[in-house]
Amino acid sequence: MRKYFFLISVIGSLLLLVSCNGLFDDLYDEPVATVSDGYGFVRVDNANKSGTIYIDVTSYKRWTYINLKDKTTDTSNIIEGQEAPAKWDFAMHRYDVKTNGGAAFESSLSSIDDLRKGIPEGATFAADTLSRVVIDMSHMMDGYLDYDTSYVNPVLSRWLNVDLSSMPPIYTLSLRPYLVRLADGSYAALFFDNFMDENSVKGFVTIKYIYPL
Amino acid sequence: MNKRTSKLILLLFLSITSNFSLQAQRTVVGTVTDSATGETLVGVTIRVADHKGLGTVTDNVGKYRLQLPSSKVFTLEVSYVGYEPQRRTIDANHKGPANFALRQKANILDMVVVTGTRTPKLLKDVPIVTRVITHDDIAMQDATDIRDVLQTELPGVEFSYSMGQQVVNIQGFGGNSVLFLVDGERLAGESVFGNLDYTRLNMDNVERVEIVKGAASSLYGSDAVGGVINIITRNYDKPWNLNLNTHFAEHNEQRHGGTLGFKVGNVSSITNVQYASTDAIRFGNDGDFGSLAAHHSWNFKEKLAYSFNNKLKITAKAGYFFRERESQQLSHERYRDFSGGLNAEYTFDSSNSLMAAYNFDQYDKSDYSLASYLDVRDYSNVQHSVRTLYNRTFAQNNILTLGGDYMRDYLMTYQFADNGSKFQHTADLFAQYDWNITPKLNLIGGLRYDYFSDAGVHNLSPKLGMMYKLKNSSLRASYARGFRAPKLKEMHMNFDMASIFMIYGNPDLRPEKSHNFTLAAEYTKKCYNLTLMGFYNRVADRITTAWDREVQGQVYVNMSPLQIAGLDASASARWDFGLGLRLSYVYTYEHIEKGQPELSSTRPHSATIRVEYGRKWRKYSFNVALNGRVLSSVTCDEYTSMTDYTETVKATYPGYTIWKLTLAQKIGKAVTLNTAIDNLFNYVPDYYYSNSPTTTGTTFSVGLSIDVDRLFR
Repeated sequence: MRKYFFLISVIGSLLLLVSCNGLFDDLYDEPVATVSDGYGFVRVDNANKSGTIYIDVTSYKRWTYINLKDKTTDTSNIIEGQEAPAKWDFAMHRYDVKTNGGAAFESSLSSIDDLRKGIPEGATFAADTLSRVVIDMSHMMDGYLDYDTSYVNPVLSRWLNVDLSSMPPIYTLSLRPYLVRLADGSYAALFFDNFMDENSVKGFVTIKYIYPL
Repeated sequence: MNKRTSKLILLLFLSITSNFSLQAQRTVVGTVTDSATGETLVGVTIRVADHKGLGTVTDNVGKYRLQLPSSKVFTLEVSYVGYEPQRRTIDANHKGPANFALRQKANILDMVVVTGTRTPKLLKDVPIVTRVITHDDIAMQDATDIRDVLQTELPGVEFSYSMGQQVVNIQGFGGNSVLFLVDGERLAGESVFGNLDYTRLNMDNVERVEIVKGAASSLYGSDAVGGVINIITRNYDKPWNLNLNTHFAEHNEQRHGGTLGFKVGNVSSITNVQYASTDAIRFGNDGDFGSLAAHHSWNFKEKLAYSFNNKLKITAKAGYFFRERESQQLSHERYRDFSGGLNAEYTFDSSNSLMAAYNFDQYDKSDYSLASYLDVRDYSNVQHSVRTLYNRTFAQNNILTLGGDYMRDYLMTYQFADNGSKFQHTADLFAQYDWNITPKLNLIGGLRYDYFSDAGVHNLSPKLGMMYKLKNSSLRASYARGFRAPKLKEMHMNFDMASIFMIYGNPDLRPEKSHNFTLAAEYTKKCYNLTLMGFYNRVADRITTAWDREVQGQVYVNMSPLQIAGLDASASARWDFGLGLRLSYVYTYEHIEKGQPELSSTRPHSATIRVEYGRKWRKYSFNVALNGRVLSSVTCDEYTSMTDYTETVKATYPGYTIWKLTLAQKIGKAVTLNTAIDNLFNYVPDYYYSNSPTTTGTTFSVGLSIDVDRLFR
């Protein structure tokens, strides 16, 4: 009988030791509840004319405008017909990028700082082209998507390749520094560092910049 | 008679009696080995013919010692499961050890299985049709996981990929309708669409895989609608053993593992570690998917057993599994499983035994960011279960089985609102009686009651089966109910699918219920075996997702009954000179009424073929095998819209054949070298449909396994 008691005790102790809802919580990181530095120009280094921009592009209905001169960001709701702000340099809708009358060049350099040496020889800049962007995915199951006509820069938009041949899609960063010639003739260097937040949730873009070059 | 004469008579008497006494206490010793490998066999029974109760068993190094009561002539009968019995006469002049070299039975029907009845029975005596994949089959394929084994051995089994994860179709039943077990224990977690993470089920240290097709809910409860696949791990009773193995294949596929076991006194332990990895595979042709992500995994298993006496044995188990899938450039998916348990088996006497077990299994998913280095968990399924099983054997080997289980099922997932969690309690009671009415006729009946707290499900699952044995053949017939209770995910999902649509759970789901009829005939003579099985399944209230116009999203629903009928035929032969042949074919007919959210897409014809030839010598053996899979094309109806189930178009998915040539060589006692050419005829799909094989053409592999302990024996 003692042996049975021993056995029951062992099983009982084990049951008590093991948490009902699982073990090893400490093995994982807690999700970051809020962005510690907020959105917009989250790091600015005036001395080196550089910094980091962090924006939320999760919504298909929204353009996010970036003003490099004033270090500000703004948004407009496409569905509600909101206008773009008066001053902006480039903008993002999901992973699409457009410039405000500018043009862009994709360099083959390994670092954004390499662009400080000057415009690479033979650089050719591509202007925005009229295209369309998806503003509502919810009708995909009905066989169509809602689009809005907009200018998009085809070179800048290469910063992220979305391979839809597999499900879920495979996202691949180009990891190339981009040179943007703004409408006023000044130049900005951009490097798209990530498209996810710290919790690996997609739709949060981190951009390193140098402006003016 | 004087004093001197008396002394002489006394000495003579003592001399005679002592001689009688010495002869009466004659001891026979010897060793029992496997005739092919020379390995010693532990636990072999040695009986003395016509002397009830006189006998012994071999010890943990294969030796025996037997006291014979007199100098008469005795006949020793040596028997061991899976081996041909031997008899030998020991006469009065016998000197030296009496060694036996037993030969393995060629007939798999003499193997002991447990899944069909939850009691150990010879395969030929199990009234429920059971298919066994042996350790030798697994070793010969140099298989890494359960997919390799099932696809090669069973027709009608298709593994494919969905959302980057493995999913299975077994003659019309998906992964959520086939119950996978390891040593009879359920496994927590799902990869996608109710499928387990099959990469957890590695084949290192597996003794055999038992497959029971058809409904088995009367013994196993929920999910056993289309069948049960039970992976039985190995047990060792040698003083020590150490196996090291490695495997390399195309796409930098690697597998390295080791198993260490020992038995000291009443304690035995088995520790198994395996690492596996493969690079990303990119397909050359277009398809529904273009690549498979690179991944690597670790699998650790420990089994520690202690026998208190001949009656009580306690086994403790622990396991850890880790897999990292390099799904994205900046984030990897991680999968972890933690498991543990205690199992106590108590044998009251030769007729009564009781098993009680506690099992813990936790399967987690997390996303690891290569930018922030945060590893954030978004899925955790935790199952605590307590199981009991009592077996009582009556006269004529009639067996009463009684059991009951309890499980607490906890689920936290990103597919619930706000990454929330749910849990439920499940409990069941079951009884089964295995009745040998005559030596030729067996009847088995069972009934199980299951309760699921969150779904509010009360379910009864009956079963009735019979087997009739003729001289070289047997007939089996059975009726069984299957059921699958709604999962927590299916009842409570609230998931935004990439801003395209929502998927909602349905708390009012009814359980799936099936009626399963099976009729099987088996003929075995000498080295030939022929089996034929027909089955019919009617599954009501199958749970699936359907488009709901009101909520403009997918909602879990019960759909109208589907019917699956089919025919399994298998013929095999194994001749003494080393040649073996096996042909297995299945025909599957699946019928689902139009208008239901799912339509049939199961291939009607499928076959596996094996031709093998092997020879064994004392220090070298080889087995060369050609394995083929033949799958027919399938033409099916598909809806033209994802949101409306009225208009359909015909779609045809091509058939294909895949052949694999393997050569397994055993060099000396300890070394096994496996080489293989997979996809021998370089089949490459023109277009990779979701049900196409994920092959890029002919591939080569090489594997090496060393039983280190045998080098020292």
